[in-house]
Amino acid sequence: MPVVELNINRIRKLVSGNVTRKQILDVLPFLGLDIESEEGDEIRIEYSPNRPDYSTDYGIATGLQGLLGIKKGIQKTPIKKKGNYSIKVDSTVTKIRPYVTGIIASNGKLDDVAIKQLMNMQEDLHDGIGRKRKKSSIGLHDADKISFPLTYTTVSRDHKFIPLNGSTEQTIDEILANTEVGQNYGSVIENAKNVPIIFDSDQNTISFPPIINSGLTTVTSNTKNILIEVTGIDKEAAEDMLSVVISILQTAGFEFNELKITGNKNSTPQLKEKTMIYDPKFTSEIIGIEMSPSNMVTCLKKCRLDASVKGKKITCIIPRYRFDIFSPMDLTEEIALGYGIANIEPKLSPSTTIGQKNDVTIKTKLISQTAVGLGFLEAMNSSLTSKKVLYEMTKRDSSQIISVLDSKSQEHTILRDSLLPSLLDNLSKNIHESYPQKLFETGVVFSKGKPIDESINLAVIIAYKDTSYSEIKAIMQSLLRTNFKINSETKTSKNNELFSKGRHADIFVNERKVGEIGEIDSNILENFRIRTSVVGFEIKLSGLIFD
Amino acid sequence: MSQVFHDIEKKILETLQQVPNQTPEQLSTNTELSIDQVRRGIEWLRLKDLAIVDESQKITFSLGPNGLDSLKNGLPERKLINMLKDEPKTFDQIRSALSGAGFNVAIANAKKNGWIKIEKNNSESLVSIKEKPIETPEEKLLSFIGEKTISQEQVSNPLAMKILLSRPNYIIETSEKTKTISLTDAALSLDTSASSSGAIDVEADVPSIFAARTHPLQDTIDEIREIFVNLGFSEILGNMTQSSFWNFDALFTPQDHPARELQDTFYLENLESKNPATSSQIKNVSSSHNKNWKYDWKLSESQKMVLRTHTTCVTIKHLAEQKPENARIFSLGRVFRNEKVSYKHLVEFNQIEGIVIGNNTTLRDLMGIQKEFYKKLGLTKVKFWPTFFPYTEPSLQTMVYNEKLGKWIELFGMGIFRPEVTKPLGIDKPVLAWGGGIERIAMLKYELDDVREFYNNNLSWLRGA
Repeated sequence: MPVVELNINRIRKLVSGNVTRKQILDVLPFLGLDIESEEGDEIRIEYSPNRPDYSTDYGIATGLQGLLGIKKGIQKTPIKKKGNYSIKVDSTVTKIRPYVTGIIASNGKLDDVAIKQLMNMQEDLHDGIGRKRKKSSIGLHDADKISFPLTYTTVSRDHKFIPLNGSTEQTIDEILANTEVGQNYGSVIENAKNVPIIFDSDQNTISFPPIINSGLTTVTSNTKNILIEVTGIDKEAAEDMLSVVISILQTAGFEFNELKITGNKNSTPQLKEKTMIYDPKFTSEIIGIEMSPSNMVTCLKKCRLDASVKGKKITCIIPRYRFDIFSPMDLTEEIALGYGIANIEPKLSPSTTIGQKNDVTIKTKLISQTAVGLGFLEAMNSSLTSKKVLYEMTKRDSSQIISVLDSKSQEHTILRDSLLPSLLDNLSKNIHESYPQKLFETGVVFSKGKPIDESINLAVIIAYKDTSYSEIKAIMQSLLRTNFKINSETKTSKNNELFSKGRHADIFVNERKVGEIGEIDSNILENFRIRTSVVGFEIKLSGLIFD
Repeated sequence: MSQVFHDIEKKILETLQQVPNQTPEQLSTNTELSIDQVRRGIEWLRLKDLAIVDESQKITFSLGPNGLDSLKNGLPERKLINMLKDEPKTFDQIRSALSGAGFNVAIANAKKNGWIKIEKNNSESLVSIKEKPIETPEEKLLSFIGEKTISQEQVSNPLAMKILLSRPNYIIETSEKTKTISLTDAALSLDTSASSSGAIDVEADVPSIFAARTHPLQDTIDEIREIFVNLGFSEILGNMTQSSFWNFDALFTPQDHPARELQDTFYLENLESKNPATSSQIKNVSSSHNKNWKYDWKLSESQKMVLRTHTTCVTIKHLAEQKPENARIFSLGRVFRNEKVSYKHLVEFNQIEGIVIGNNTTLRDLMGIQKEFYKKLGLTKVKFWPTFFPYTEPSLQTMVYNEKLGKWIELFGMGIFRPEVTKPLGIDKPVLAWGGGIERIAMLKYELDDVREFYNNNLSWLRGA
């Protein structure tokens, strides 16, 4: 989950009232925000990806005001229609990035801390809703450096402008090759011959979405009026993003002017609230507390939503930026939050069902108990292992290998089809410990099927200088006889590089092969740097003691 | 009275009957027993009132580096007098001849002994001999000790010794505790040959034997499974390899969600499930995604095989197939995340998840089950915080107070399945779901701070845990 670093005194100022540090720290977790660390006035807060508004202290302050009862209900966002702000969409963008939306935030001020937070929030939005800028991306600009109207169109790759944080003019290709954002997000526009661009009426480049803004319109602590533009391939996602930025800037003290959008498929954003009418009985049934509808309305308002009781139903008004709310179940969670999770008393109802372990679990446990009784220590290894241990060091057949894609860990790239290799690896890592060493493992192994078969195997291994085939065979037969009364035989088998020649066999139960047993070959032991004798066996328990 | 003597006791008795009053070291030499065996034997004999142990402290003195130097060249004050024999000298002259701290010591002691006088002449101080310097008691003591080690009793002038001890590195004082063992009268007359033998050294060290045992993590898994069963939950099993349909789509995770990317989830190379679900399940899930997430859902994405990222795919599939009216079920097993392995992250770990459908399926019931679960684990301080999970709403996390760490830690998560998850699968009632990782609980139990230890199969840990 993402983390944001905030100053508690800033939050206190934003929340206003006479809120204390302790009140804030106590209430934060009940907004769903985890305090990861606290150092002086700096706190690190973990927030959920479904609430990007909580990535700034403005958003958090709005939430705190609600739960603390300082301000309740929606903060309305009046949008003035005066002023000649507009953007015209050229049809050439249709194929590459068809949508643009935006607004003008005016008469406000952002200090350096606020600008930094906004930039971080922008990155979170890009990674989350924006799907790494592919679906949608935001640009913030100093509106006073821009001559309206704007044009959203495309340009060829030799178009030049000074990018954000740049000092000289660069072509589109140079920006894609030389800047970090260009390298990271260039793939979004793929190999398009012409790329998206926003010009102002003086033909100045404002933005090259979704890569970088122009240096001309950089937002600083002197900026009073901001143009927010969001482009993308999904109109809904673009407006989602816009609404989050608006909610934050509104708390920061900005007013809003409409940005008229014209052109193919595009329209001026309405940013309309959503209305949900639902039966409050549902919430009582889910939470398990009889609550009056008016009480629920209070709870919703504490979560910065608007609500009212109409007849037997509740009408709830949801601001545009709360697009995480899908259905009455989401409103139920809001009511629970408004009520206070700490105020909900847990209740233990007697179970009307009788618990039961799975047959596989019970029988596998019986096998483990016998193995322990025979003096074996249980090992646990990963089912995801390495090609080196599973196939190379043991010289096993790798034609049916099952690999995972792009593992971050070299030791975990292949699904095991056998347990013995990992047990040999365990012996290899314990050569300095006293002998005899006796290990067993029960666990899932994988093989190609439809599309994959999973079965449970048992592997047992003994290492010390005087161990022998007879010892491991006696162990194997005892393990199957105890509790399960299974009689097993060993039959000479064709050569297998894991075992010493003439000292291994196939294990048969009722004329069916269930496993292999033998003395581990000295070449294999050498690969594992084991300097003593090792014997072992592996059998498939699935189909033998359970289905 | 016939007594049983261990061979060790016999040997010590016999030796002491011949030569009384020996140190343990002497006894070790004379009996050819190890010093530990001798010590044990003495203790046994003492308890039987056969041996007496006298402890005494012996203090000895020898010369330290400065003492040895003075033995050869004289004390600093004597060196000074030797310099002044022919003519008086200035401070500067003396200082350059007597290096370091020697100067101050020499002037101070020579003056104290009344050997020298100091006259101020212009800015110079001139030192000359006042009277004939005789040998001091300290000098006598120094030459008496010489290169020997002497005992405290041999020191005839304790005052001189006190002075020398106060000067650094002149004398090395050693204090040693010695034990002298003697026999009681009863022991002296004992005939050891008449005593019956056959006793053994019951206190001697023996080689270690390690108990065979189940894996400590497996023990924790079993303990948690047992608690679920006690709470009325029945166990279901499911595959670790799953189609994306059950791991993600059925749980309302949009197909372009970051959690579904290669960098978080293990996809199986070139493997897909042709028919991940029934055609109506596919149709309903697909339309729930299209409607709520507003995108174009693709069957091909849902056919990709993954290593399950949670056990929820097993429980949701069971619900969709069995549609039970009233049930408590759980699923326990390995889950996978494509992460870098570290002391707190594994690519593969155990998770348990329980669900409740039917009666008593309110948020309060869910919290009640949690509290009872933790109580059975011995954790009584429990609180709940809201949190976010993609497929439950409302969602809570449990915070449990750990006495040893002195802080609240996050354990299992819980929630009620979203209607967007249950409705398309034909499940009409609310479903409570809760669960979490088991290694975390096992780490607290075994006081480990590196989760990798569970899968290292390090014998010294397994044998000792």
